[in-house]
Amino acid sequence: MPHLGYAAILTGFVIAAYTAVASFVAARSRVGELWLSARNGVYAAFGLTTVASGALLYGLLTHDFSIKYVAEYTSRSQSPVYNVAAWWAGLEGSLLFWAWLLSLFAVVVLIQSRRNNRELIPYVSAVNMALLAYFLGMMGFALNPFETLPVAPADGMGLNPLLDNPGMLFHPTSLYMGYVGFTIPFAFAIAALISGRLGDDWIRASRRWTLFAWFALGLGNLFGAQWAYTVLGWGGYWGWDPVENAAFMPWLVGTAYLHSVMIQQRRGMLKVWNILLIIITFSLCLFGTMVTRSGILSSVHAFSSGSAGPLFLALLTAVAAGSLSLLWLRLRALRSENQLDSLVSRESSFLLNNLLLVGAAFAIFWGSVFPLLSEAVRGVKTTVGPPFFQEVTGPIFLALLLLMGICPLIGWRKASAENLARNFLLPLGVGVATAVLLLALGMRPFFAALAFAVLAFVAASILLEFYRGVRARHRGRGENYAIAVPRLIWANKPRYGGYIVHVGVILIALGVVGSQMFATNAEATVKPGETIQIRNYVLTYRGLTSYTEGNKEIVAATLDVQRGGQSLGSVVTSKSFAAGREEPRTDVAIRSDPREDLYTILSGWSEDGTASFKVLVNPLVMWIWVGGAVLLLGTAIAFWPDARAEARLPVPERVPAKGMRPSHA
Amino acid sequence: MEGEQSGLRFRRQQALETLRKTADGRRPRLARPQFLIAFLVVFGALAFLGYNAFNASSMYYLSVGELLARGETSSGDELRVSGKVVEGTIQRGPEANAVRFTMADENGPSVPVVYRGVVPDTFQEGGQVVVEGGLGPEGVFRARTLLAKCPSKYEPEESKQT
Repeated sequence: MPHLGYAAILTGFVIAAYTAVASFVAARSRVGELWLSARNGVYAAFGLTTVASGALLYGLLTHDFSIKYVAEYTSRSQSPVYNVAAWWAGLEGSLLFWAWLLSLFAVVVLIQSRRNNRELIPYVSAVNMALLAYFLGMMGFALNPFETLPVAPADGMGLNPLLDNPGMLFHPTSLYMGYVGFTIPFAFAIAALISGRLGDDWIRASRRWTLFAWFALGLGNLFGAQWAYTVLGWGGYWGWDPVENAAFMPWLVGTAYLHSVMIQQRRGMLKVWNILLIIITFSLCLFGTMVTRSGILSSVHAFSSGSAGPLFLALLTAVAAGSLSLLWLRLRALRSENQLDSLVSRESSFLLNNLLLVGAAFAIFWGSVFPLLSEAVRGVKTTVGPPFFQEVTGPIFLALLLLMGICPLIGWRKASAENLARNFLLPLGVGVATAVLLLALGMRPFFAALAFAVLAFVAASILLEFYRGVRARHRGRGENYAIAVPRLIWANKPRYGGYIVHVGVILIALGVVGSQMFATNAEATVKPGETIQIRNYVLTYRGLTSYTEGNKEIVAATLDVQRGGQSLGSVVTSKSFAAGREEPRTDVAIRSDPREDLYTILSGWSEDGTASFKVLVNPLVMWIWVGGAVLLLGTAIAFWPDARAEARLPVPERVPAKGMRPSHA
Repeated sequence: MEGEQSGLRFRRQQALETLRKTADGRRPRLARPQFLIAFLVVFGALAFLGYNAFNASSMYYLSVGELLARGETSSGDELRVSGKVVEGTIQRGPEANAVRFTMADENGPSVPVVYRGVVPDTFQEGGQVVVEGGLGPEGVFRARTLLAKCPSKYEPEESKQT
């Protein structure tokens, strides 16, 4: 099996490289037969990465410990689900997973566009296959997942117990889908640059890929946050670690891209900016992959260093330099068709949103790579901690939220005074009322009250939009309100799906503001029967129990919880020690309700039953996860095929260029 | 033949676009001054935010050797130090949540560390560790934050195989 897998990788490398060249030449020369062959190359490359992945999975599931990778990431006692997850748990396997996703997406692109975008698709394929060839080449010549051991060990090492969590199934996979997904809009942008078809075709053709990648990346970050929150046991969900930042930055720039392409479609502006944004987004995806795999930035998440760092750096440099020079060559053809008319317009507010998103990404980038820069320039390594990121991004995100309320309500080109008054009086009133109320109730710090007021403003502005649409349907078609809401959403899915996504973002922001500004914690060492007090909670420590479960030894502490004198039952927090593993695994107790989470960590104990705890009260955290679900709903609606969006598609060319009609093979 | 035609169409499209622009009476040009000012304001605000936050939270990131070379730190001056936990030096207690250990550079100088609080699961003998805090007068590093990087988290150490 390992030989089959390795052979598939090498053959795949040759085929992908050939297909990249053939697609490119076919696009230039318009030789139909060549394009036909290149199309088959894409399918063949997908087949081969699938064979390689199958061979690896077979090895992982059948405990073929003669494969080094299998011996390192699986063990006989590990459940099959996590043996499958080992596919993407390590460096070499994750490269294969990446390559497989990319080849899959490349095939989907071909199938999707049998009828349209004939001019672009060969170039898109060329870019996809060139990248695929690079990944397969990396595996073929440096980081082989099928490397064999001279002597197969009796049992494998297995995954680290911390990875033994459902998070391991969802978090890396959705991140990779996001990273790889952004390859497709990037490839379309490059195709537009090379072919000179710089209109909106490439944006329209890649819109849903962008949406998919953007959403997968966001979801991956949320899964990661939840995993960290429930397992790592430090009471937080985001630590501004370089690796976390690396996954967040492409999402921010991708968000900017997602918004600014709307301006190009509506007004023919920002063409250079859009291409620049997607180049940056994709480069940041590669940067993120490099950071996780090279160890150049010190992080608690990093893979060990090795040959992966330079290989990724070379790829990143080639991608960035190549695409930027292409953009430079096409600069004249990317003239804007219109110009900004007024500072108070939809275009301006989008532009500001873009500046802020890119600004936030830049600040995070700066903070993440600063240790490297300062060492290179001044010889002393200097880092910035979480406070830096919080202080910079906090106000930026607040401003972005504010814009989220303003953008959809403000008119195109130049908003009139009536437009402003009609749309903003009510939401503004709600926002101001919220601020006054919260401050009067004694909420401090001021920034928190301001943030909640902004959230109320945005929520009101979205509700107003829905209300107007529903009222129009009610009056115009006599629909009752309950029917009008879903019909309204269904009639313009991209728009109302987008609003629902905004609602999800508001909910996430609500949770973030609540937990960042108002979290409290207490650490205490108590004897059985003693209590810990935090906020209006009283926790009574009942004692320790220890028992064996499978190959794990578990020490668990039980505490009775009272809130405001009312009993809420008891919570159990424990540490487990797996046989043959040095490090313990902490299982925290989280008691969650819409108002706040009570988060209890067992941090230590001594022989006499005395135990140490860290207890946190994190307000509103649940809304972060609820917001994630709403985000999913909104994205699904925006993603759903839309009759009006389809109608807006350019009519497919009736007479396709003769040489370019290979697709019926 | 066909290629030529689509090339022609493309050129015609471009010409049409140019026409439309001139018909509109304005050719696209650089943004107006009000936009330049708005841009500068936004950019200035971002720079100001970044500068302030940076001054408030930048921290030296040292190896154990560099830490010892600097000597005792004044109170309130936070340092971030990375090194390896020396095998066999982790001691828990006497308080239930306290941990003491010796941290060293690879085959280099070492420093005793004391930390109170929740110890991450990945903290172990021989593991990579990052601490934040200051060096006390008796030469003991008082860590307020303890981050552990487990070498076997994703990539097992070579020595651990077979």
